[in-house]
Amino acid sequence: MFYSILFPTREQYDEPRQTDVPVCFKDLNLDQVFAPIFKAKKDFPLEPLFYTPLNNSEVITYRQNIMHELADENLRGLFSDFSASIYRIRQFMNSLRSAMSSEDRWSNNYLARGRMLDFAGRYCHTITTLMEKLSKQTFHAEGLLRFKNYLATYCASDAYQSLTSRIIRLRDNLSTIQYCMMIGDGTVRVRKYEGQTDQSSRIIASFEKFRQGDVKDYRKKLSEDPYADHVEAAVINLVANIYPDIFDDLNRFCSKYFQFDDETIFRFSQEIQFYLSWHDLIAPLRSAGLPFCYPKLCDTPDHLYNSDGFDLALALREKDKIVVNDFELTAPERVIVVTGPNQGGKTTFARFFGQVHYLTSLGVCVPGRKAALYLYDNLLTHFGREEDLSTLNGKLQDDLERLHTLLNQATSRSILVINEIFASTTVSDALLLGGKMMDKLATLGAPTVFVTFLDELALHGPETVSMMSEIRENDPTERSFKIIRKPPDGLAYANHIAKKYRLTYKELGRRIRE
Amino acid sequence: MKANLMFREKDFDLNAEPRFGQDALIADFELNRVLLSMAREDQMIETVCTVALCCPLRETNEIQYRQENLRDALRNPEAVRRLYEITVDTEKKIKSSMHWLSSIYLSSTFSSAIELLKIYISMLMELRTIADRKISDFQSDGFRTLLTMLQRELSDDYFAEINSQLKELKEGNNTLISATIGNYLQGTHYVLRRRERKDTWWRWQFAPSFTIAPRDDAGAKDLAKRRDRAINEVANALAQAAEHLSGFFDMLRRELAFYVGCLNLSDTLQALEMPICFPDLQPLQSCDRSWQNLYDVSLALMKNSAVVSNNLETTNKSLYIVTGANQGGKSTFLRSIGQAQLMAQCGMFVGAACFAAPLRKEVFSHFKKEEDSSMKSGKLDEELSRMSEIVDHLASDTMILFNESFSSTNEREGSEIFRQITLALIENRIEIFSVTHLYAYATAFLENKQTQFLRAERLDTGERTFQIVPGEPLQTAFGSDLYKKIFEKI
Repeated sequence: MFYSILFPTREQYDEPRQTDVPVCFKDLNLDQVFAPIFKAKKDFPLEPLFYTPLNNSEVITYRQNIMHELADENLRGLFSDFSASIYRIRQFMNSLRSAMSSEDRWSNNYLARGRMLDFAGRYCHTITTLMEKLSKQTFHAEGLLRFKNYLATYCASDAYQSLTSRIIRLRDNLSTIQYCMMIGDGTVRVRKYEGQTDQSSRIIASFEKFRQGDVKDYRKKLSEDPYADHVEAAVINLVANIYPDIFDDLNRFCSKYFQFDDETIFRFSQEIQFYLSWHDLIAPLRSAGLPFCYPKLCDTPDHLYNSDGFDLALALREKDKIVVNDFELTAPERVIVVTGPNQGGKTTFARFFGQVHYLTSLGVCVPGRKAALYLYDNLLTHFGREEDLSTLNGKLQDDLERLHTLLNQATSRSILVINEIFASTTVSDALLLGGKMMDKLATLGAPTVFVTFLDELALHGPETVSMMSEIRENDPTERSFKIIRKPPDGLAYANHIAKKYRLTYKELGRRIRE
Repeated sequence: MKANLMFREKDFDLNAEPRFGQDALIADFELNRVLLSMAREDQMIETVCTVALCCPLRETNEIQYRQENLRDALRNPEAVRRLYEITVDTEKKIKSSMHWLSSIYLSSTFSSAIELLKIYISMLMELRTIADRKISDFQSDGFRTLLTMLQRELSDDYFAEINSQLKELKEGNNTLISATIGNYLQGTHYVLRRRERKDTWWRWQFAPSFTIAPRDDAGAKDLAKRRDRAINEVANALAQAAEHLSGFFDMLRRELAFYVGCLNLSDTLQALEMPICFPDLQPLQSCDRSWQNLYDVSLALMKNSAVVSNNLETTNKSLYIVTGANQGGKSTFLRSIGQAQLMAQCGMFVGAACFAAPLRKEVFSHFKKEEDSSMKSGKLDEELSRMSEIVDHLASDTMILFNESFSSTNEREGSEIFRQITLALIENRIEIFSVTHLYAYATAFLENKQTQFLRAERLDTGERTFQIVPGEPLQTAFGSDLYKKIFEKI
């Protein structure tokens, strides 16, 4: 039986969800990644879904399969229209139902009943349209298959069938009505229409012959909605007097079908926005040629990789200038140490590593052409912060305190991202502390990215992988933003930049001799 | 309803993209003075005549159609001027009526449109009157078709019908509106209906009714909005009708403006006792030209007196090289040819006693720029780039008039550039009139049989006659004359 498009079972659905922003969001710029989604989908409560990482591979796979199937743009359009319609209908019906339950003739009148008929009609149209379109669709994802079956059963039910046929009959009858109003001296009189001539067509016929070309359209966009509902309701009452049978039928319809909408379908229309919003977000990046994939979920950290990945928050800002990067950890490797010149893309690389893990735990597709990622229990980050003068703690102390907390929380199943730590101390202190930290990381065995200016740490041991931001030989000032596996080499950049300005030893020697 | 006085079967289009080189033609041939004289301060005439002059017709029958209409206009100047005046008066009356179609209030658009339509109807009646009175005096297809159409379309019955429609719309406080049921039972598709004979007071008095409460302001406003919705289409129809009529009078004015402009110019030139004639236009392939008393119309208008004219008769020539003394009338001569060609090809008379010339697809001019302070070294660049732009538009059976072109560099260089250009053009059947000082250039064509050499005449006494006569280029320049005249006079 189908219950939710986000969770395979009702029990999983009922598990508590996070409502606060996870702490790693700021460091990994995930707040920037999700902001456009929350902004575009204000009507839907998506925040807890994106705030709650899963470590249940059954649920993640359930979502990945659905997300994958929804890569089809037409299918997404279908669900997007459906979701928006059902949402609107539900909103209006909620307020309408309370109006129609009241004794007040001002709100409980033919206009209210007309609106209910209207929404019931839209509801059926929305459901039937989706049903027809889905019937042509072959699904592989379990969640979508189950929803499709649910919908088919619902549509075939007697209750739904009689609802639709009743609406059609009422509409047919109402469309036969054409009446005339004679308005004058504050009074509206109503009779059936009896073929009186249209004034404007006479005028058009008389003057059309002078036409020289296109002319302006002087019609105003006037609302077809009544200005004063009570006058309109009174006029419809007069019309109802002329057509009593049709309007009696409408009254009976309204009491019988007061609650016509289905809860499971409503829930689906809300939940599907999780998938739609994600695809909406990444669609422009995909068309710009950036790859996304569904990572293999790994229970051990023995072989983790991602090829052609990137920092999603950066890509959303500058999709045309994005440089893709790879990482790979093969046992016994656990810790990637990133060194190299500033502004070379080191932090971006660290964020990319953290982001793809977090996103994987949501069940969405992640940056990269191909990936295998860790099914972690906790994602911990430590990014060097702007010095906070309000606290008396020095930066080094602050760094150490945070690092201590982080390492206490971490298990071998955690993911760690540590960026530019110990930048505020002497090199010898930093080396000492960094070395100690590397020892701890080695023992812990959790997959880690560590960005540092200390070359020595990149050679800590067999668990360490050294990566560097790449420097272009021909123009060192031009950054490539590529992070590659390479032994640390802090002098490379300085040499290249000197060459460009003809200030190398050899060059200077020749220039001085000339 | 179309007037079709400019073309037998289409409107005269003022909004067409300006032709390439139009501004250069107007400046080089000094057409502004001609246009001013035609317009007599009427902007419409100036605009229409500018477009007409700068878009030469290529079909003999199109030109003949305009010539025939123009001959008729010259025979019936008063009737043509009166028709034009009606179009001008209409515009004035509409402007001074202070009624605007575009209003934020529909009811205002509605009543303004009715008032404007009344003005238009009265002016239509004036047009009918002229048509009735003058149609027998006209012989041309263009004017006869127009006046017949006015009589047919603006019949007494027609005026009776439209007047009664406007009357019906203006009166009555009861509005009859039809409606259908919308998606939530609200009334939609409001249509203002005519009260038919069956819609008696008695019948409606006992229909089911609803009266709004005395202090129900929202209700009262609702009723007003119902009327707005109903008159939306009608107000639109009325406003569009007014716009159709505005367009109709504009169109009529546009089609008549050219003929009134020609009447004005003809009157002025006749007062100066300068001849005008309808040109004899030969097919595109022809390379023969002949004229008598061809003069620079613009110069006559400026001097407000008779001016020097020229005669010529040539056969099978495609290159005319004009050399000779400075201030000997060469530029004037070149302008008179350009003017005559353009005037002829828009169906006008030309400033000559008689004028025969081939049709040309387009006319281009490449005149030396008198002064160009913005450039110092780039003058030849400028000339070449301007030439290159023209070449983008050149084709067989066009003509181009050069005035002192490529003289911004030394003679040998200029001559060689110009010679190559000229040779390429004439071999591609482009007719050239070239006023030049470049002796090497001019003499390079001495053996060319298609070349007609002309020279500013100088009598043996050294005096200029300002006549241009056949004659090959002479090596000596006449600048020394001028030098003497100016420097040694004292």
